[in-house]
Amino acid sequence: MYKLGIPRSLFYYYYGHFWQDFFNALKIDYLISPITNKKIMENGMKIAGSEMCLSLKNYLGHIDYLKDKCEYILVPRISNFKNDNQTCTNFWAAKDIVNNLFENKILNYNVDIQKHQTLKKGLFKIGKVLKKTPLEIKKAYHYAVIKEKKRLKKNHQINQNKLKLPKTKILIVSHPYNLYDELIGKDIIKYLKKRKIELIYSDKFDPKITNKLSKKISKDLYFKYSKDNLGAIIYCQNKIDGIIFISSFPCAPDSLANELAMRKIKIPYLNLVIDDSTSFTGLETRLESFLDMLGGKLND
Amino acid sequence: MKDCYLGVDIGSISTKGVIIDDENNIIASSYIWTEGNPVNSVKKLLEILKEKLDKNYQIKGIGTTGSARKLIGLMLKANIVKNEITAHAIGTLTFYPNIRTILEIGGQDSKIILIKNGIITNYAMNTLCAAGTGSFLSSQAKRLGINVEEFGDYALKSKNPVKIAARCTVFAESDLVHKAQVGYPKEDIIAGLCKSIVLNYLNNVGKGKKITPPIIFQGGVSKNKGVVKYFKEILKEDIIVDENSHLMGAIGIAVLAKKNKNGNTYSLEMKNLKFQTKAFECNHCSNNCELLKIYRNNELVDSWGSKCGKY
Amino acid sequence: MTKISFPQMGDYHIPATYLLSHIFPNDKIINAPKITNKTIELGTKYSPEFVCTPFKYTLGTMIECLEKGADTLIQMGGGCRYGYYAELQEKILKDLGYNCKIINLVTKGQTNIRRINKLFKQINHKYSKIKTIYYSFITLKMVKYMDIIDDYIRQNIGFEQKEGSFEKLKEEMLNEFKYIKGYRNLYKTYKKYLKKFYNLKTYKPDKRLKIGIIGELYTIMEPFSNYYLEKSLAKHHIEIKRFTNVHYLLFEKAKEYKKYQKYAKEYFKYPLGADASDNIARCKFLCENDYDGIIHIKSSFCTPEIGAMPIINKIANTYQKPVLFFSFDSATSKTGIETRLEAFYDMLEMRKEK
Repeated sequence: MYKLGIPRSLFYYYYGHFWQDFFNALKIDYLISPITNKKIMENGMKIAGSEMCLSLKNYLGHIDYLKDKCEYILVPRISNFKNDNQTCTNFWAAKDIVNNLFENKILNYNVDIQKHQTLKKGLFKIGKVLKKTPLEIKKAYHYAVIKEKKRLKKNHQINQNKLKLPKTKILIVSHPYNLYDELIGKDIIKYLKKRKIELIYSDKFDPKITNKLSKKISKDLYFKYSKDNLGAIIYCQNKIDGIIFISSFPCAPDSLANELAMRKIKIPYLNLVIDDSTSFTGLETRLESFLDMLGGKLND
Repeated sequence: MKDCYLGVDIGSISTKGVIIDDENNIIASSYIWTEGNPVNSVKKLLEILKEKLDKNYQIKGIGTTGSARKLIGLMLKANIVKNEITAHAIGTLTFYPNIRTILEIGGQDSKIILIKNGIITNYAMNTLCAAGTGSFLSSQAKRLGINVEEFGDYALKSKNPVKIAARCTVFAESDLVHKAQVGYPKEDIIAGLCKSIVLNYLNNVGKGKKITPPIIFQGGVSKNKGVVKYFKEILKEDIIVDENSHLMGAIGIAVLAKKNKNGNTYSLEMKNLKFQTKAFECNHCSNNCELLKIYRNNELVDSWGSKCGKY
Repeated sequence: MTKISFPQMGDYHIPATYLLSHIFPNDKIINAPKITNKTIELGTKYSPEFVCTPFKYTLGTMIECLEKGADTLIQMGGGCRYGYYAELQEKILKDLGYNCKIINLVTKGQTNIRRINKLFKQINHKYSKIKTIYYSFITLKMVKYMDIIDDYIRQNIGFEQKEGSFEKLKEEMLNEFKYIKGYRNLYKTYKKYLKKFYNLKTYKPDKRLKIGIIGELYTIMEPFSNYYLEKSLAKHHIEIKRFTNVHYLLFEKAKEYKKYQKYAKEYFKYPLGADASDNIARCKFLCENDYDGIIHIKSSFCTPEIGAMPIINKIANTYQKPVLFFSFDSATSKTGIETRLEAFYDMLEMRKEK
């Protein structure tokens, strides 16, 4: 029995490394659910409402995997990072949905900057639940924050270096929890890498920069993660050959934000929507023809 | 002369008719294909029933249910017209008063009905998509080149059902074709199809519903042994399949017709009845309602489809 | 001269037109045509694939308004992605070749006087602030009165003795509301009609069915989008309880939320977006009181309500109350809805008899 379970889905792809640093420093034994497999996805589908988005179904599958193995399960609630930087309403609701569908004890913190609920406050709260002293928590928090900053800088640098390479470059615009998930976006990445395409990921830029840049596509958008994605498009639109949008069905922010972006950008793009019954055969055809369309620029 | 009651269930795929007596015994029944023409199929049905019916009986009540219930209700001048959910529950309860759960998969609809102490406590129907229903099965059977009736036997032969995404008809179809092209054996594909129908049903219609035994499985698809097998396997409960399971809706509506009898006597002679529907589009406003006018022996009896109430 | 129009919802175009025509007396207000099948077809055709249905409805209406000659459209936002409709809709309309401006009064679920002032100046820089404040006050009162009367209608229309008497009287009242002169006149008219409504003869049996309607706000408030659900319930002599109306959203929501949160704290701790958490508390309320059933309606892809649905289901199971879920799409078939509704009444009636 582990003290804490961390589902490898949704929030994990934003905070996973940070959490690991934090809980390592606090000396908590935690279990991260495995890379998504068919069993996990199927269980998620069974538990979740049939109209929920694929990513949320997947998340519930991961919770289901952890439910008998841990004392607590970490389910944060991330609502906003200031007025015009909200998250999707599924991020608001995740905690209450999990709480109603599972019997487990939930370790929860709330990030709602509008209501002055910061990450720091939240982590102190859960540190207390885990019976750690304020001093320990403070140390762990600072340790994790510094490492996170370094990671961010490094990722941004990697992306920038990639942009300078003389290869075919495609920007992948997607939420990391879809993009890096084994059963949602991984196949697409694998396929593109095989074709020797240089992939630039929209989530690996410094959000401070991309968030501001998004204003050039949309003045009013208030979904933080979509803003970061759109900003990435502006950031590198002159240095790339094409864009691939990947979203899960039916993603609420993407349905509007990506549509607006597609109407405004002038480089070739491909829009892929992944559903629980999408088979890779269908995607392959579309990817192949997209690469063919980029045509002469291909370097293989 | 003894009294009897007729119940007609007109579904999208098949038309069912049952005549019961005062003790709810079935004295005549028939099951034919609708073939997209409910009026004609009901005429045919009545001819068959007339042949089967003992001359000592007179019909004292007619009830209609199923998706064409209103139209046929007008045609037969039925004394009761009810939706198929209620009819199914009543029919089943007539023979199985202790039943708790009714699973039903029909031509285009699938439903679950929960019953407690002889009363429906909750029910759910598929969202308006035909995936995982009878019509889906028969179209796939055609694709694989076998009869739908043989489906069950094929499925029972399989040891390794293939996994098929059956959430949506279109996706399932492409998946199925793909699997067939790759070279999976036919029985494994068919078994996979049957299993996916069960999973799809439990994930959609049955979601959040507590399935308590005794469970009965009805509707045209209940004749498919493969689907029954996977229901048993996945629910880990025994599943009752009545030999008259496909007639339950018709029985239920006949029972209701008996309850609502008003002293009229009905005839089964409909062969020469002129029953016509005329469709036209009303251009009165931008609603452009598609109207349907219904004539019985050249007399306008009703018109449907108007949103503003002009007709 | 600016030609202003706005997508409509329920009967609320009457106060909205009233307000705008008094603030901008020199401009033209173009009333949006009633929503019809054509509206949805238009909206669906130009909308992104899996956007929620209100987007499609409002986009369709906007196109119809522009066809009627409008050049400025007013849109308001909510607490979910509704708040972001305006910008994308403007882009879609521009791509279609319409030259128009969309004024988004409320965004991110918030607004303030300065923002409204700035936006109104864009419509007509000579507009009068004092008049605006005065007429806003009257309009908000009008909305409140309409909502009170609607509530009474919902409880009684199923039991009217003369068919159509409530609808007819309501139409009469709304017609008079269009030409109100000042607050006193409004109040008097309201009182007059309230009395008239009380005097309409009804027959309410003790053993009547009572149903609560909860769900996503646009679908609840625009009868076309819910396939006239309330009307068909009334035809079966059912008393209807509905919580959401514009007055609630504008003035009560913030206050009620705290009460709701306390009342249903075992089911939710945080706001789930839009009206989702309100609906969870309302579901508990309906279960604990003598309501026979609950109908939850929403447009397809409404994310906050989808999140609330498993919780609502859980509450209903705990209290053993039946819930009927509807998810309306532009392609929903009317017969399918009817069958499900009919079975729902039958079930409720059988339960009641027992």
